[in-house]
Amino acid sequence: MVKRIPHPDAHVRAARSSKVLAALLSGLMLSAVPALAFEQAPMLDERVESGDLPPVDERLPKNPLVVEPVEGIGKYGGVWRMGMRGGDDNGLVAKTAAYEGLVRYDHKWEKVVPNLAESWEISDDATEYTFKLREGLKWSDGQPMTSEDIAFAVEMFQNPEYPANSNWIDIKDNPVKVEVVDDLTFKFIFDKPNGMLMDTLATINGTQVLTIPKHYCSQFSPDHNPDADKMAKEEGHQNWTFLMQQKCAWGWESQRWANPELPVMYAWRITEPLTGDAARVVWERNPYYFKVDAEGNQLPYIDGLDMRVSRSLEELTLLALNGEIDFQDRHIATNANQAVFYDGQEKGDYHLGKVIQSVSSSLVLQLNFNHDDPVKRALFQDKDFRIGLSHAIDRQEIIDVVFIGQGEPFQVAPRPESPFYDEEMAKQYTEFDPEKAVERLEAAGLTEMNGDGIRLMSDGRPARIVVDVIAALRPEWIDMLELMQLQLAEVGVDIEINNIDRTLFYDKRPSNDYDAQVWAGDGGLDVMQEPRYYFPSGEESVWAYKWQAWYTGANQQIAEEPADWAKEQMALYDELKGEGDADRRAELMREILAIAKENFPVIGVSLMPDGYYIAKNNLKNVAPSMINAWLFPEPAGYDATQWYFE
Amino acid sequence: MLRFLVGRLISIVLTVWAISFVAFAIIQLPPGDYLTAYMAELSAQGERVSPAELEALRRQYSLGDPFLVQYWKWISGILAHGDFGSSFEWKRPVTELIWGRLGNSILLEGLAVLVMWLVALPIGIYAAVRKYSLGDYLATVFGFLGLAVPNFLFALVLMYLTYVWFGTTLGGLFSPAFERAHWSLPRLWDFLTYAWAPIIVLATAGTAQLIRIMRANLLDELKKPYVTTARSKGLPEWKVIVKYPVRVALNPLVSTIGWLLPTLVSSSVIVSVVMNLPTAGPLLLRSLTSQDMYLAGTIIMLLGVLTVIGTLISDLILAWLDPRIRHGGAR
Repeated sequence: MVKRIPHPDAHVRAARSSKVLAALLSGLMLSAVPALAFEQAPMLDERVESGDLPPVDERLPKNPLVVEPVEGIGKYGGVWRMGMRGGDDNGLVAKTAAYEGLVRYDHKWEKVVPNLAESWEISDDATEYTFKLREGLKWSDGQPMTSEDIAFAVEMFQNPEYPANSNWIDIKDNPVKVEVVDDLTFKFIFDKPNGMLMDTLATINGTQVLTIPKHYCSQFSPDHNPDADKMAKEEGHQNWTFLMQQKCAWGWESQRWANPELPVMYAWRITEPLTGDAARVVWERNPYYFKVDAEGNQLPYIDGLDMRVSRSLEELTLLALNGEIDFQDRHIATNANQAVFYDGQEKGDYHLGKVIQSVSSSLVLQLNFNHDDPVKRALFQDKDFRIGLSHAIDRQEIIDVVFIGQGEPFQVAPRPESPFYDEEMAKQYTEFDPEKAVERLEAAGLTEMNGDGIRLMSDGRPARIVVDVIAALRPEWIDMLELMQLQLAEVGVDIEINNIDRTLFYDKRPSNDYDAQVWAGDGGLDVMQEPRYYFPSGEESVWAYKWQAWYTGANQQIAEEPADWAKEQMALYDELKGEGDADRRAELMREILAIAKENFPVIGVSLMPDGYYIAKNNLKNVAPSMINAWLFPEPAGYDATQWYFE
Repeated sequence: MLRFLVGRLISIVLTVWAISFVAFAIIQLPPGDYLTAYMAELSAQGERVSPAELEALRRQYSLGDPFLVQYWKWISGILAHGDFGSSFEWKRPVTELIWGRLGNSILLEGLAVLVMWLVALPIGIYAAVRKYSLGDYLATVFGFLGLAVPNFLFALVLMYLTYVWFGTTLGGLFSPAFERAHWSLPRLWDFLTYAWAPIIVLATAGTAQLIRIMRANLLDELKKPYVTTARSKGLPEWKVIVKYPVRVALNPLVSTIGWLLPTLVSSSVIVSVVMNLPTAGPLLLRSLTSQDMYLAGTIIMLLGVLTVIGTLISDLILAWLDPRIRHGGAR
């Protein structure tokens, strides 16, 4: 028995008949075969005439994906100017240009819609997924893209010698197996049910299987080319893995943007690569891109991208103010810059748009539940202690001072925009009440005080918590912590702010050498995929690092058996991962959240205020409001391919 | 003179070896390694990297080896075939990455030094000869201003002012058309239209110091009897000053030529970051924060080598300038 996903064409026909519905659906990706002739960008005309490129009908698949524009049909031309930081900024490239997977999310980040795959079927037990690719898909070098490319990418990810790794292709627990049926059809098969696969495939992580094209990259693998090792050694590498990594890499590794030869499925392909001495990264339209607008014009509208490589955020800020950046939010759209950008709108001929952050709390205080010091461990695991701390924080003061009044008191909980939003969970223990705080702290055994007004722990030492923080990441964390330090001192808890480098920050985790660490509230919208604060789900669950090791099995030496409630959550999450039914998954997630709410493991401060993006006034079809998350890339998730310059 | 040179060369080899060892040791000092830094950076962006991938990469890069083994691999590669290793971040040979940037550094900072000297020396001489005159005071005031204002702040102010006044954004060293071109006259011109700003910024701080040193040195010399003698013999005043006391006053300046380059590279790091200059400074900073050890080690070592060579050159110039040193060395 298989469940059939209705062909999306059905939506199209219905939508076309009604303008209202079309407006409602606008921005949704719809797949249809328009009867009209396909058009291409004028910059390609000459190459087609000279015979350098086949005509557009031959370049497009039989059934190209039709992108419904946000505002209207656009026109070709122009270069999108923006800024990036350098080799470490591959995330920006991924979010801007590399979101092309088998499927993708709609603009609301809710529904999974077709992309390279035109349809799929899921077996009832969620162990077998059959995908059908669009017929006639081509890589940016004109070579056909087939099921074999998927199989090869999976093979590379699962090759133990090659460091490529993914959170779904080669996990030990339940790795994927590929069965190639024909050029257009293939199956992902799992031993255990994998209920979340479609959601994973629609995130940026799902694009990984499309990043190692077989016809180009197999020449570097010894399994496909006996001379691969020799070739690598001739180029001065130790073995084939290095050359492969330099030429193809995987996912969105920086080296991928350093090789202009590498075939891609993206709307633009690199012409000036991101190398160590690059001053800019230049992209040009991919003439084989598989999407068209509602009138059959091949996308993208914009001819190319010009990314200024600059370590200087000051320079990028000035460029934006000067109207020399067409669209950007990353790096420059900071809290501190907001007023400057707001004032400069007229002069720079740009406007600000809304960016909804996917994180919940602007700061998460994670006390180390697995502290080596038994006294601290007991104290940090004591719920009364955490509630006491939470009541002692004057959140409104922090919001007014640090965020100029933006946001509201908020715990680490799903955001109001999320279907999992639970007001009680988000607001519990957030009222500022020093008396209640003292009551709770005393209930946690902190009854005595020393001469400095610091409460004493059960062994007589003062209650002092060293809080690790990376100020370089978010400067406002330090401002927030300094206020919290004063507020907590009022109730007799001493906080020491330990601003350290990020490498050290991470190094301290396996050695269990920290009282508390600070991070932002990831998982505010991507509740199910990023549950790190709801239960000890992975390496980023710093509040219970040894418990998560027990759960993931990644680092057995430090693993420790979790408390019963956490084990219950883990069992629920295991069930969730294997569940094929979306409603049942949501139900299970609610149960996990309820346990998290009851046990209140981490302390939040305030709801992360909305961010903003900067877009030139002549750049059209840009969604007025976007969600910023890693899993759902912004702005690529909003079809930057249909943006155009007026 | 030959013995002087040979002696120097032997000590240079030993010094460079010591530098290579120290450079490599320094970059191993911070906690963690490239992969920890890499992981931390990905997490900051919201990405995830699995422990298995890190393990595989650690094995691939042999990051688990002991320090001496790693050092030996690096230094033997350099000695055997000039291979400075590969940058982890770029997966490219280090040498491919640094020559262009180091060239830009030397060009830009060399020009800054030139400007500095051209401005500072005449003013210094003037200030010494016309001690306590209005000009001397003006030079002192402006000199100290330049010394007191941090370079990066001056760069920021300059960037802001050109944005407000001229509506252009200062940054970089070339216009897009010339970024990847080979050197030619038009490219040089393009370079100069961009480079004036960083040159001014880099030159100001040093200028003040130079003016003060020149003034003080020359004041000492001007009082000496040989100047009076020269003057009494009827030499024209400019010749009296330029031919003898200025030459002697230059001594301490020349002997510090060797340190100029490293000082400039390290003092210009923040300016280069702020103004987005493709010089060695930001590359060094970046490689240190990402713990890209072969890249960082190579840059530190090359700066060390350049310092050593600079010192040798300044020694030679000194010997040429001042017979006393020449003869001292030959004895």
